[in-house]
Amino acid sequence: MELRASRIPGVVSLAQGVPSFDTPEAVKRAAIDAIEKGKVAKYSLAPGTLEFRETIAQYLEKENKFYDFETEIIATAGSIEAITATLLAILEPGDEVLIPDPTYTSYQPAIKVARGVPVFVPLAEEKHWALDIEKFEKLITPRTKAFLFCNPNNPTGTIFTRNQLHALAQLAIKHNLYILSDEVYKDFIYPVKSCEAGAPSAQFNRVNDSNERLYSLAELRGIRDRLIYIFSFSKAYAMTGWRIAFLATHQDLAKKILAVHDTLVTCAPVVSQFAAQAALEMAQEDVKKFKDYFQKRRNLICKRLDKLENVFEYQKPDSAYFVFPRIKDEILRRVAKNGGSWQFALELLEKAKVAVVPGAAFGPSGENHIRMCFGRSEEDINEAFERMEKFFRI
Amino acid sequence: MLEKNAMKKILKKIVQFHLKLFTKITLWRHRPFIVAVAGSTNKTTTKDYILKFLREKYGEKEVRGNPKSYNTEIGLPLAILYLDSGESSMLRWLKILVQAKMRALFLRKFPKKLVLELGVEEKGDMEYLLEMVHPEMAIVTNIEGSYTYSNSSLEKIFEEMKFLAKELPAKGYLLLNSDDERVKSLAGFSKAKIVTYGFAEDADARAEDLKTDAQGQIFNFVFQGKKESIRIKKYGRTNIYAWMAAKVVKNIL
Repeated sequence: MELRASRIPGVVSLAQGVPSFDTPEAVKRAAIDAIEKGKVAKYSLAPGTLEFRETIAQYLEKENKFYDFETEIIATAGSIEAITATLLAILEPGDEVLIPDPTYTSYQPAIKVARGVPVFVPLAEEKHWALDIEKFEKLITPRTKAFLFCNPNNPTGTIFTRNQLHALAQLAIKHNLYILSDEVYKDFIYPVKSCEAGAPSAQFNRVNDSNERLYSLAELRGIRDRLIYIFSFSKAYAMTGWRIAFLATHQDLAKKILAVHDTLVTCAPVVSQFAAQAALEMAQEDVKKFKDYFQKRRNLICKRLDKLENVFEYQKPDSAYFVFPRIKDEILRRVAKNGGSWQFALELLEKAKVAVVPGAAFGPSGENHIRMCFGRSEEDINEAFERMEKFFRI
Repeated sequence: MLEKNAMKKILKKIVQFHLKLFTKITLWRHRPFIVAVAGSTNKTTTKDYILKFLREKYGEKEVRGNPKSYNTEIGLPLAILYLDSGESSMLRWLKILVQAKMRALFLRKFPKKLVLELGVEEKGDMEYLLEMVHPEMAIVTNIEGSYTYSNSSLEKIFEEMKFLAKELPAKGYLLLNSDDERVKSLAGFSKAKIVTYGFAEDADARAEDLKTDAQGQIFNFVFQGKKESIRIKKYGRTNIYAWMAAKVVKNIL
């Protein structure tokens, strides 16, 4: 959709999930410094430089996650490489991987590349896109090997609760499954009081000491031999182009994944490792600044969506920078006839010149929805809604 | 662009010169006991364990370490003077220099013990840092490389560690990780008392019977004829090295 949108002049895009910010200055300076000192021309060790991994381990400790930087952390070329390398390491052809429905679009191809079979587990939209553990267990077969998910979830911008995660961990132990937890949006959690009143995730998904820190299964020591924690610098530090992320897991599993990682990329880009190290050491204020912007934009987009209440209904996002409104049946029939969310998004693109992502791209439960990204500027959000209001003749 | 870079370099030199001067004055006035932690990695964890143990023994205010791993030519003086970095703001750096001068000349209370990471990358870095601080005790954690083919850079770091070993006074202590051959060989270059630590049989302070479970690591610590069972909640051998080095420091001081 983004590609199609780029060919039409004057389109306002709420499609691509890329933040509108540039990489923080301190990060860029560290990269330049590393280049000038001649530190980036050679391969690093396959799992990454020792200094970078040590910094990661120290950073994780602050979040109550404990990993040995020498044997349990691998710097990767983006989180998708971490995911693909892990799947290639753990799957046999035909093994099934459960993924939430809707979820991030690239999970399906990654599973297929590893000769696996993606199996969707529908989320309960009416319960703030909650994970239905009963449905989940019913879909487990002897071929099920892993559950792959992102928390906070893309495209819904919602969080899986601590109780759901614990139930998931119990199932993983019972059925001997791996869990791949992709937490790329973990730094963009909005305060409980500003969330929709009564939203279940607003009450139970956070750690006790702070309502703005996401609870992660990586804090649960009992499953560290089956959990792969994945974090990317792309979103939190506005570094999508640097292709840098890391994974952390038990050393036995890390050894298997490292063999695949070494085959795929030898090592993550060394310049990006230096940049990401600086990001962890020096750019926490920038992350807070980004979060504040996103929170304002979240409030703005919700306000604008409220004005379009006869077109959309939605679960207010309490994290990330996506909202995933359902298109009301009557409007969908009028605008897209029988074409569903793809046709609706195309009509919106061609007639209103607003780019959004059709919900069906994220799984069958995403049908009749569209994903809007509020990582874009306030001007873009306002302009897109002016156009939509005109298009829907509000 | 070039002019801007040249300006930055000049500013850095000015800041560096003054910070070094004020640091020397501060240390000359208060004469704290300095424990230096050097090596390729594991400096911060080692320093943190030493701080924890020494604070248990001497109290919170009597022991200070580098905040945020400030350990280079600019970072180390900031750590000693207990100031934050000015990042890229010229105004903030000016403010910091004024504060540094005030602290150097008028500060009355100062910790009795400093635990300082020394970060070195290039030839001459250690010499520069040791012009400012004179440790009586030093720990060398390891000499390891981050690159696939990097023996020459390891030798460079080894030379810097050798400089540190040579500079320690005879009444001082040098703690060496005995599982790292390069580090172990530093013993031959120092007049200070040597204490080795590691998993090796011949280490003065030794860890043995290491086991890992969901709650962390358990091992037996053998030192000065005593054996005690230790549990730490962190994973990885580096944390055990750091713990052992800190325990030895606590025992000596």
